Amino acid sequence: MKRMIPILVILGILGGLFVLGGGLFVIDQAEQGIIVQFGEPVGEVITQPGLHWKRPFIQEVRRFDKRLLAWDGDVSQIPTLGREFIVVDTTARWRIVDPLQFLRSVRDELGARTRLDDILDSVVRDIVSGADLEEIVRSHDWEVDPNKVDEVIVREDVALQKPKMGRERLEQSMRSAASRLMPGLGIEIVDVRIKRINYIESVRRQVESRMVAERQSIAAKFRSEGEGRSQEILGQMERQLREIRSEAARQAEEIRGKADAEATRTYGAAYGADPEFFAFFRTLESYKAMGKNTTLMIDADSEFFRYLKTTQQP
Amino acid sequence: MTMYQLRRWLPIVGGGVLLLIAAIAATSTVYTVQPEERAVIKRFGAVIGTTDPGLHFKLPFGIDSVQHVATERVLKEEFGFRTATAGEPSRYDARDFPDEALMLSGDLNIIDVEWVVQYRIGDPIKFLYNMREPTRTLRDLSESVMRRVVGNHLGSEILTTARVKIANTTREEIQAAMELYQTGIHIVTVELQNVVPPKAVQPAFNQVNEARQERERMINEATRQANEVIPRAKGEANRIIAEAQGYAAERANQALGEAARFRAILAEYQAAPEVTRRRMYLEALSTLLPEVGSVLVIQEGQNSPMPLLHLREGRVPTEVVR
Repeated sequence: MKRMIPILVILGILGGLFVLGGGLFVIDQAEQGIIVQFGEPVGEVITQPGLHWKRPFIQEVRRFDKRLLAWDGDVSQIPTLGREFIVVDTTARWRIVDPLQFLRSVRDELGARTRLDDILDSVVRDIVSGADLEEIVRSHDWEVDPNKVDEVIVREDVALQKPKMGRERLEQSMRSAASRLMPGLGIEIVDVRIKRINYIESVRRQVESRMVAERQSIAAKFRSEGEGRSQEILGQMERQLREIRSEAARQAEEIRGKADAEATRTYGAAYGADPEFFAFFRTLESYKAMGKNTTLMIDADSEFFRYLKTTQQP
Repeated sequence: MTMYQLRRWLPIVGGGVLLLIAAIAATSTVYTVQPEERAVIKRFGAVIGTTDPGLHFKLPFGIDSVQHVATERVLKEEFGFRTATAGEPSRYDARDFPDEALMLSGDLNIIDVEWVVQYRIGDPIKFLYNMREPTRTLRDLSESVMRRVVGNHLGSEILTTARVKIANTTREEIQAAMELYQTGIHIVTVELQNVVPPKAVQPAFNQVNEARQERERMINEATRQANEVIPRAKGEANRIIAEAQGYAAERANQALGEAARFRAILAEYQAAPEVTRRRMYLEALSTLLPEVGSVLVIQEGQNSPMPLLHLREGRVPTEVVR
């Protein structure tokens, strides 16, 4: 019997460890837990991380994530209010706020995700199909002033008005609609956001070809602008040329005129002293200027020929 | 196995087991934190603190556990492209990621935006325990915020002037969301990479650039022509004026000279009018006659004039002179 003691001690220690292992459990910083006894939750939710105790063997721990969780929606094709088909991809953040309710209603995360898929997808679909594309794309702080935008650079069929709701408010209404639809799940939806939004393939091609046409018209505008500016510059040049030339001609004529007047005055002052002699003098001067091609006719009785006839004094 | 044998072996086995336990304890009580890291220490799952780089001790046997988080390293998320191998130069994945990159501008045009978000893990505890997949959330939020900001601008702005503004606004908004969710992530920068129209539209955009160049070229050419012609015309104008001024000076001098000459002669003439008059007349004729082509003498009462002298041609008979 005495020999059996060490064996009993070892067995006792092993048994004690077994019970301890069944009763002690760790709740991680990221977790919260519920103790379940025969499928029925017992006691408070354990939110404090660390070492905890439960009754071994008859109780078990269900662990739930305490952190913020991400939900990513399915990419879905939705028509907007303006009948444009778009592809919308949404994302949401949620957390388990009431593990007891969560456990009762959806059991685990997989169950929760299925419910979230159903609710969020339908909410997103409802809200997107009830809004214009502009409302989904633009936000409340849209700053573009439709009056100040160069008309050529934007689509003609798109108004540039500030959205009535805008992206954030649509997202908010998605969140509140989804929250309304899921009471009693122990879930809080923290936010719903539109992650991606785009045209479906066929609409995208249409939009692209319209963008091409738009660019081509802008290119044409630039070319004709260049032509116009060039003509304008050349016209200005022509005007300047004419101004410069006519101004010069005017000044030249003025100068000449003044000079002529001055000369006339000078001549007048000199010749006025003896007009008769001036006539004589000037006539002789002009005789001297006669050239080879002149035929001179002189009266035979003229002074010049007088001494050819006689040397007598008259 | 007899009791005797057990009694003999028990100390040896027991000692061995104790030694083994001691060895495991020794190795699992020491851990190293690298310079770019911080370590989060948990005791029975509950966070008890963080440790700085260096050698540290903890309790063994899973009582304490350590998680290393690279807090000093700047991490990045790429959108619309992937770096295949970083280096000099970096090579990029040939694939496109149109789902990530294509988005709608405020005027409902399609635009292809590639960008990078650089971030640092500022608070390792928050990073590990406030959100399950913080980097995935960062990606989702980055895409959402970038689309919101791009959707708030016109396509033409996004391609040209609004790049910096978009990057800054996006950074601020992602940062705000990260703080709202307490992810412990600090956004360092958001950098826009390629921001281009969709592939099918790019040639048309290039055409616009060409047309813009063409416009500049035409304007420059016209300006060049104007610059060439106008200064020359100004020079010509100055020449015309200078010529007129020259004419004026000439005319004035001529008038003054002639007037002076006339006055001088007049003074002499007044001294002896008759003689001077006759002398001047005769002198004039004597200079004139050798120059004149032909001279005709007219007799009163006779009808046709008759040649007197043909000074250049000796053929004219002298008989005609009477």
